[in-house]
Amino acid sequence: MTDVPSWLTQPENYSPPADNDRFIDKSILSFIGLISKIKQQSGLAGDALWVSPVFKLLFTILYVVLVSSSRHFTFVYLMLAYIIVVLAVMPARDIRRCLRGALIAAAFTYLILLPSALAGNRYSITMIPAKVFACVLAVNILSASTRWDHIIGALKRFFFPDLFIFVFDITIKYIVMLGEFALQMLYALKLRSVGKNRSKYGSIGGVGGTLFIKSRDMSEDMYYAMECRGFTGEYHAADKFGFTVYDGAYILLNGGFVWLFVYFQNLV
Amino acid sequence: MHIPDNYLSPSTCAVMAAAMVPVWAVSVKKVKKEISKAKMPQLGIFAALSFLMMMFNVPLFGGTTGHAVGGTLIAILMGPYSACISVSVALLVQALLFGDGGILSFGANCFNMAFVLPFVGYYIYKFIKERAHSKGGETAAIILGSYFGLVVASLCAAVEFGIQPLLFTDALGKPLYCPYGLAVSIPAMVIPHLAVAGPVEVLFTLLIVTFVKKVSPDMIDAAPAKKTNGIWGLILALICLTPLGLLASGTAWGEWSPEEISGLAGYTPKGMSGGLSYSALLPDYTVTGLPEAAGYVVSAMVGVAILVIVFKLLGTRGSGGPAEAK
Repeated sequence: MTDVPSWLTQPENYSPPADNDRFIDKSILSFIGLISKIKQQSGLAGDALWVSPVFKLLFTILYVVLVSSSRHFTFVYLMLAYIIVVLAVMPARDIRRCLRGALIAAAFTYLILLPSALAGNRYSITMIPAKVFACVLAVNILSASTRWDHIIGALKRFFFPDLFIFVFDITIKYIVMLGEFALQMLYALKLRSVGKNRSKYGSIGGVGGTLFIKSRDMSEDMYYAMECRGFTGEYHAADKFGFTVYDGAYILLNGGFVWLFVYFQNLV
Repeated sequence: MHIPDNYLSPSTCAVMAAAMVPVWAVSVKKVKKEISKAKMPQLGIFAALSFLMMMFNVPLFGGTTGHAVGGTLIAILMGPYSACISVSVALLVQALLFGDGGILSFGANCFNMAFVLPFVGYYIYKFIKERAHSKGGETAAIILGSYFGLVVASLCAAVEFGIQPLLFTDALGKPLYCPYGLAVSIPAMVIPHLAVAGPVEVLFTLLIVTFVKKVSPDMIDAAPAKKTNGIWGLILALICLTPLGLLASGTAWGEWSPEEISGLAGYTPKGMSGGLSYSALLPDYTVTGLPEAAGYVVSAMVGVAILVIVFKLLGTRGSGGPAEAK
């Protein structure tokens, strides 16, 4: 039996010198946030709020147009009230997510407009943050309550070319795939950066550059896989569209909003 | 630089979207011609890549970090037309699914970040690279291209903000959208981009291009070396400058109407009062029944459309017929 070398028996206290590598943590956090947001989406069983994604997309865009164009605060207030009622029927987790984005956007707008308000412009400071809040909230509700592949599919009804829908669909899928790949590289970088990391810039360039090279490889692989399954360069998006009684009620409701908009616009 | 909804008027948004339509059309056509169907999935994967590039945090002085846009980077790596399409798709994903950047202002955001940024950055890069063949020359090309690409794009966003109070006011003259004029919006947008965001963009672009060049030099899109077509540059400049025309609120010297002459000179020259009154299709850039600002914007759209038609016709005359656009 050999003796334990003396250097192994000595206690050692190595504490690596502190280093500013927050950029790795921040990058890791933004990638995790992004991927988890998309993954949560695909876990969505069906579309919440009953109505067809085609109408949801159409009328969300309509809300944005109406709210942006309106000059009457009462109309903006009514729309906001409706959007908040819709928000209230959603699960708490979605509510938190939807509200967070909208509140940040509105607060930022408020801050930007503050100097103008101090100079006497009262209209902008009341109207624009409320409008920004309503619009961001409406889009967030659409995004949280509808599966993203259904939103993309709904674009076909708006005469988007199939090629575009195909590209859009791949984009979402590969944000997750490339994102996970980037995440692994960032973890590796984090684990291997013990103590002072003197080649910070080189390493972030390496991660980004490898991601680019990987994306080229992935697109080649994907094409071969598609060709093996008989891809000829034509892509047809499936058009699943059914009309329910909920859709009818939803259309009536939105017709009411358009009427309200016209009514209040005439009052200005 | 993502402009949310309600900072710009809906009509400005419409004009910016209209300005993007020919850009998208040309980009799709170019990309289809240059890349085979074998590369179709590449468009989507590159869009995902451009989306992810915005997620990277670059270390800055004092432990702070900043994130880059990566528009010029994408243009250098895969050509400006592919960059235009993939950044547009990435922006649409952000607007529609992440609530980042407005839906109405999608056209304006694309104009700044998917058109101006990659094209300005790429052509500065290309211009310098073609003239300086040394390694240092290429580094300078990357630095200047990515820096000015971002700064010019922020200037465009600033102009879009700054013209709002000039164009869209209520009956009392109070601004309806972004209340700050060009004198505030340009320094507020451009100075931070000159000082902080620009250097971040340069650093990020330089690092990644250098890495890819070193590891896999044949990967960088070898764009065909052909003469740069100046026509689209001209159209770009014109669209950018159109709203500035409103700054010159006074009539240009020598273009007085008879009424203005009488105001200026105290009397109307006899030959003018009975002379021909030439009335253009859209006189004084206003359209009857529309507010002055909207009329101006419609005129700008018609102007751009006519220019595009003229250049398209000129372009097809030489080649014997328009190429079939699929």
